[in-house]
Amino acid sequence: MTELPRPTAVTLPPPRPRPIGAVNWVGLWTLYLKEVKRFVNVLTQTVLAPMVTMLLFLAVFTLALGRGNLKFGDIPYAEFLAPGLIMMAMLQNAFANTSSSILISKIQGNIVDVLMPPLSTVELALGFALGGLTRGLLVGVTTALAMAIFVPLSLHNFGLVVYYGTAAALMLSLLGMIGGIWAEKFDHIAALTNFVIVPLSFLSGTFYSVARLPENWQFVAHLNPFFYLIDGFRYGFLGRNDGDLLTGMAVVAGVNALLIALVWFMLSRGYKLKP
Amino acid sequence: MSLPVPRVRRFPSAINGRGLWTLFLRGFTRFLRFAVEGIGGTLVSALLFLAVFVFAWAGDSGPVPGGSFPAFVAPGIVAFSLTLNAYGNAAFPLIFDKLEGMIGDMLMAPLTPGELVAGYVLSAAAGGLVTGAAVLAALSLFVVLPIPDPLLLLAYAVLGSLLFALMGFITGLWAEKWDRYSAVETFLILPLGLLSGTFFAIETLPPLGQQIIQANPVFYLVDGLRGAVIGYSDTSPGLGLTVLAGLTSLFWLIAWRLVVRGYKIKS
Repeated sequence: MTELPRPTAVTLPPPRPRPIGAVNWVGLWTLYLKEVKRFVNVLTQTVLAPMVTMLLFLAVFTLALGRGNLKFGDIPYAEFLAPGLIMMAMLQNAFANTSSSILISKIQGNIVDVLMPPLSTVELALGFALGGLTRGLLVGVTTALAMAIFVPLSLHNFGLVVYYGTAAALMLSLLGMIGGIWAEKFDHIAALTNFVIVPLSFLSGTFYSVARLPENWQFVAHLNPFFYLIDGFRYGFLGRNDGDLLTGMAVVAGVNALLIALVWFMLSRGYKLKP
Repeated sequence: MSLPVPRVRRFPSAINGRGLWTLFLRGFTRFLRFAVEGIGGTLVSALLFLAVFVFAWAGDSGPVPGGSFPAFVAPGIVAFSLTLNAYGNAAFPLIFDKLEGMIGDMLMAPLTPGELVAGYVLSAAAGGLVTGAAVLAALSLFVVLPIPDPLLLLAYAVLGSLLFALMGFITGLWAEKWDRYSAVETFLILPLGLLSGTFFAIETLPPLGQQIIQANPVFYLVDGLRGAVIGYSDTSPGLGLTVLAGLTSLFWLIAWRLVVRGYKIKS
């Protein structure tokens, strides 16, 4: 009977802890990439589909209302409508990205893979929010380019377009995170989309100037934060606005700050995420 | 111990009525279970469309055929809600059954392919009709809708929801993942529904556009519904009914053939 060679004991050096600085850049970047690749994987559904839908809306509303001489100020209806539709596409898609990502992870149970790694609450929030922001901006740019083929899109103030576009995508990403963390079923997210997000974006002055509303309704319209997003964004393109721009910028920044605080609070408490 | 030989259950007639009724009820109760989104969500977006059109229009968009602009768009909104809903009601459960493997339970039951198609499609169409009726009722709270011809309205609504339920059923057979469901919805159903004169009169369009739109079957549905609801239509009701009935029969035949061949449902 031959003797098998005895394995010689190899002493490995003890594993060294990986030092992580104040910010876990690798982790944050990885989470961000995961969020982006998730929607890039189904680009037809996540970017192309909203673009097509918004072009259809543009066609239908212009045909339905553009005849006669419907103008806002001296701006033809199609040109008035286009920035609103771009904004609406951004709002709905930024919300859809974060809410579906978190909810699906929760239902499938792989949310722990995001909670276990050495990511702080802020990094976690940032990774998800930036993913939604990226989708919102990508949808916005794609829709804007497609609309520019049919409607002359002028740029009055590029800085404001960027400010409002980013603030809007961020706001809805954060709202989507809150929704995704709160929801337990797809029904909950569908209800949130159908009964909150879509009404707020439809009644925000996308399709009409709120100055046309009766006075009481104008007041109500000004309570809708989406109104300031669309109004400011449209000002960036056309140089016309219904509300006060400075108020708008402040409201948008304030709402975002509030939402960031709420998301941070939910994540740090592990609300509906950790047992 | 010997058990008695199991007896073969005989069906009293050519159609397995009980099986068909069971399949129909399954589909319809499923629809009711998701009524909050199915009916509620559709109602909200229908009212939003109306509100947005009325606010944007504000009375200065030139003369509108058929009286007032809100009355003109209301039937369009009903048609749009009904078709989209019927499509989803048919496609969604079928894809779900396929993905979850439950389709086997339907294929094993003593149901002929024709009964299978009928069970899925009729329940989806019934759901579409219920939703359409709810939307019509909600809109008539805000807009005066005389409905001069209720029978014609019913005929168009039934044919429209059947047609789109069949399109949903065929999509459901073809789809292996949810992607295809939403792709068909975005790139086929929505364009067909929106570019059909739902919200605008076709005389707004240049002649070429008018011809293109008249090739869209949804145009006849919208136009017919509008005729039945406010008494204004661009074409004769007979033509519309013929086109829709023809298409519905054609799609029924396709759906039936696909199930007979077991297309993507039998291995």
